[in-house]
Amino acid sequence: MNQAVSKIKISSIFLTLLISAPAVIIFLYLFIGHSDNWQHLKDTLLFEYIFNSLYIMFGVAILTSIIGFTTAYLTSLYTFTFSRFFHYALILPFAFPAYIVAFIYGGMFDITGTVTTFILNLINKDLSEVVFFDIMSIEGAILVMSLVLYPYVYLICKTYLSFESASIIDAAKTFNLSSWQILKKVILPISRPAIVAGVTLAVMEAVADFGVMDYFGVNTFVTGIFKTWFGMGSVDDAAKLASILMTFVFLIIILERLQRRNKVFKSSGKDFKPIDKVKLTGFKSFLAFISCFIPVFFGFILPFIQLCYWFFISYEDIIDEDFMTILYQTLSLAIISAFIITALGLLFVYNVRKNKDKTSSILTQIAKLGYSIPGAVVAVGILSFFTILDKNIIEIFTSNYVISGTIIAIIFGYCVRFLAITINNFEAGFSRIPQTYDDAAKTLDVGEKRTFITIFMPLLKNSAFASFIVIFIEVIKELPLTMILRPFNYDTLAILSLELTQQSQIVESSVPSMFILIIGMISVVLLAKNMNKAH
Amino acid sequence: MIKKLALSAVLLASSLFASTEVNVYSHRHYDTDKKLFKMFEEKTGIKVNVVKAEASALIERIENEGKNSPADVLITVDAGRLYQAKEKGILQAIESKYLLDNIPEKLRDKDNQWFALTKRARVTVYKIGSGMHKELSTYEDLANPKFKGQIMVRSSNNIYNQSLMAAMIAHHGEEYAVNWAKGVVANMANAPKGNDRYQVKAIANGIGSIAIANTYYIGQMVDNKDLSQAESVKKVKVFFPKFEKGGTHINVSGAGVAKYAPNKENAIKFIEFLASNEAQKLFAQANFEYPVLKGVESSDIVKSWGTFEDDTISINTLGENNKAAVKAFDLAGWK
Repeated sequence: MNQAVSKIKISSIFLTLLISAPAVIIFLYLFIGHSDNWQHLKDTLLFEYIFNSLYIMFGVAILTSIIGFTTAYLTSLYTFTFSRFFHYALILPFAFPAYIVAFIYGGMFDITGTVTTFILNLINKDLSEVVFFDIMSIEGAILVMSLVLYPYVYLICKTYLSFESASIIDAAKTFNLSSWQILKKVILPISRPAIVAGVTLAVMEAVADFGVMDYFGVNTFVTGIFKTWFGMGSVDDAAKLASILMTFVFLIIILERLQRRNKVFKSSGKDFKPIDKVKLTGFKSFLAFISCFIPVFFGFILPFIQLCYWFFISYEDIIDEDFMTILYQTLSLAIISAFIITALGLLFVYNVRKNKDKTSSILTQIAKLGYSIPGAVVAVGILSFFTILDKNIIEIFTSNYVISGTIIAIIFGYCVRFLAITINNFEAGFSRIPQTYDDAAKTLDVGEKRTFITIFMPLLKNSAFASFIVIFIEVIKELPLTMILRPFNYDTLAILSLELTQQSQIVESSVPSMFILIIGMISVVLLAKNMNKAH
Repeated sequence: MIKKLALSAVLLASSLFASTEVNVYSHRHYDTDKKLFKMFEEKTGIKVNVVKAEASALIERIENEGKNSPADVLITVDAGRLYQAKEKGILQAIESKYLLDNIPEKLRDKDNQWFALTKRARVTVYKIGSGMHKELSTYEDLANPKFKGQIMVRSSNNIYNQSLMAAMIAHHGEEYAVNWAKGVVANMANAPKGNDRYQVKAIANGIGSIAIANTYYIGQMVDNKDLSQAESVKKVKVFFPKFEKGGTHINVSGAGVAKYAPNKENAIKFIEFLASNEAQKLFAQANFEYPVLKGVESSDIVKSWGTFEDDTISINTLGENNKAAVKAFDLAGWK
């Protein structure tokens, strides 16, 4: 082990300690004596929280893997009507914050929704006389979450398929297999790690969601955490619930690791050649079109039309000087955070690649934990953590400077929360770089730094870019953490949108939402372009 | 860029301690408040710095910040959270003759650690033509089986429901309250979901015929750009229920001064301003809340609903009973 490596290892140990501190603080609450609140929770709602959370995870896992994989498969291997358009469009729902889609779908499909009323008028019946699928239900929540989260699976599967499948498909074709057989026997099995990686992210995000679940009236761990914290005023018990949730997610991460370990498909590195896409015609082309159109329509086009309508009747009331300040604050915060988090993620994964030891790998998994904890709970951990820092370190230097409530605290919060995304991205990126490159560099006696800069950096450019963009979008959409940790007079677009919604100005809230969406869309298109280039 | 941001963070942190400022941690998020803060700035030259979030989160933040906290004023939308803040020892007694003289005793903390700024009533709203106005009477009666399949109300996660339940406990004790909640659950037209406005929209559209909602939401729905809200509210009317031995359930939005407030003088000035005639008028006219200052008129829309007597119990008990209320809901199976 040379010096550069140990430096990297030491810094990743230090960073893991720092980043996992809020999670560890939350976790420690599990061992604080049980209060009567805890007994009450066990007697009444704990089972419901567990059941509903599992149901949501299961539902979102199934739906996102079906939608995400099917669309990735179709657009990677075939050309059909509008297939080039779908290449971009399928990622677009990712630009929508889930709670905004929930509000819009509520407005359209709930009992008083525009679509519901239209149908009722058409058949001339009252709501009490007909049974409608109520979007404001646990199934509705699964649907909404899946519609905005499937792009995780789509993106990872698509990248994987584009890089890995060409030679395998060619090989399969020599065995005279039909495309259905190739899909079943070859593509599906080799895509499994990619599907699972995408689904893991989707499920983690779904289970940490508060906005959708609260509005749709679904009791999950997260709504329970808030009820315990805000209603009973008990941070300890709320943190206990959060610890259980974290344990849950940690198990998922371990399972994902285990399944990936058994199925390592390393590229030989010789055959990065593009796939010869098969042209579909007639009914098959139509079927492929419909399969891609449905998720794009419900995940993007439909909510977008509603948002546009609201935007045009209210933008004049909302866009002013204050709004521009908010826009600037949101953008600068997102750019800085995305830059820092991407750099950190690279450091973690590179450490694993270099050292190939259990410690590094475990460190990386621990650093990912924050993604499973709801933003508001991360914020509590951070408040506690910075309090310790403020009291013991900062006070030595100055009498009244507080970290909590500054931009530093917010960015740190994002690191805790979103590092998992970058790490997953870079893990996928590194897995595509054959081990032979490292070995070659070693035998040629090329230095660590030079290997990194001249070999890895160019090969990881796309992963870095993708990670930057995804974090950028996540930060723009983030709500509870920003809200609790932000400094005075500091608003973001997401916060403005929420405040307007809470004031019953749902129409007006479309203005900040629209900006979030446009920024997201631009980023998503850049992301797709980058993927194209990578091919 | 990072340098610039870090610098501005440091500047911001240090500027918080200048004496021409007041640092407000607020759970309120209305346009009215923005206007009020500007009015205060213009009048006094004291800059209002605001950070808005859920009250419990703000309380947690102030508690964690401890002696270093820049917080001067804490504003919440319910008495329960003010009680919580006091319990945690993050407020201090406010010495203000103006507030003592003008805010009724019932609407302030017994140790003067917080004062109410506005009142909201939690009422029933019924669908015109449903005949429910003849049936409605007390809160207790909402558990009467005659309302089976009629009631729309949001989830028990919501603080306004928790306060109503806290009041029920204050009137009748926990056991009665649990049974009452069971009765209401049995009368629900639909599982609790959505916000207060959703409940009103539901009854206007034929699901159930009684909604439980806060008054100011009804006011906000009247001129709403969201047509489904404006249309729905035309089909309903407000009814003020009472407790059998009391009046209509009210909650308050209120403010306290943080224990380690670096700008204590400004903080008191600020709260006095919010309780002044001109500020109270704006609360009443623009946000459809009930003013706490005597002599300030409600808005025309609010007046059109009629008058009511406040519940007789002290607002303080809402906070004291909040935890018990949450548990009672869980035991009754009120989602």
